[in-house]
Amino acid sequence: MADDPDSNEQAPRWRRDFPIGWESDHYVSRRELAKFLTLGSALLVGASFAIALVGKLRRAVPASAARIPGGAALGIGESLLFRYPTDEDPCILVRDHEGQLNAYSQVCTHLSCAVVYRPGEETLFCPCHHGYFSCGEGLPTAGPPTRRLPRIQLEERAGELFAVGVKV
Amino acid sequence: METRRQGLSLMTALCLLIGTLLVIQLWLVAASLDALYAGDVGVLVPAALVSLGMFAVNGFLLWYGADFDRRLKRVRRR
Repeated sequence: MADDPDSNEQAPRWRRDFPIGWESDHYVSRRELAKFLTLGSALLVGASFAIALVGKLRRAVPASAARIPGGAALGIGESLLFRYPTDEDPCILVRDHEGQLNAYSQVCTHLSCAVVYRPGEETLFCPCHHGYFSCGEGLPTAGPPTRRLPRIQLEERAGELFAVGVKV
Repeated sequence: METRRQGLSLMTALCLLIGTLLVIQLWLVAASLDALYAGDVGVLVPAALVSLGMFAVNGFLLWYGADFDRRLKRVRRR
């Protein structure tokens, strides 16, 4: 090529003797980069479908009813910890100052610390990063969490309190 | 006629386009994960399909680059 510095008469002799095809070099490296990026694209498609599959499988598992021992007798401003729907899922039952029973997953939606009830403020508080959730709806009111706490659906049967489902 | 210089510009443009789509795909994966944790599973399949569409576009762009490469080699051989 006429404007190639390696073949230019003005170029030093060592450069003419050992020319470097920079254009060819860049061309090949960009072609390889395009291949690499497309491979990354394929991996991301796989990840997206894996997430969609996990979502389908999660929805397919129905939660059965479970009794919450001592739940119905909970006093105003008190809380009770229980596990639902499996033993791996900690939950918190709260009776607020109006006597309303609310139950939520105890796992903070920010980074999975356990939330605790603060009766004076009528809030659920995450001590790890100072996240706050409203007691009535489980909505984030302050701090880093952006998603609500999953609500545990409750039912009272013959004086006993039962957890019957999870509403995310 | 194809030249190596054209090829360099083409490959640079292809890398930029593929890279842009890849960033959007990455964002889609992050948004899908967030939706999964929020229980909003209805958006997961459409997000995966859009990601698949972007991969198809990326595949086409790569094929186009490879096809250009073949043509370039053919021209240089002559």
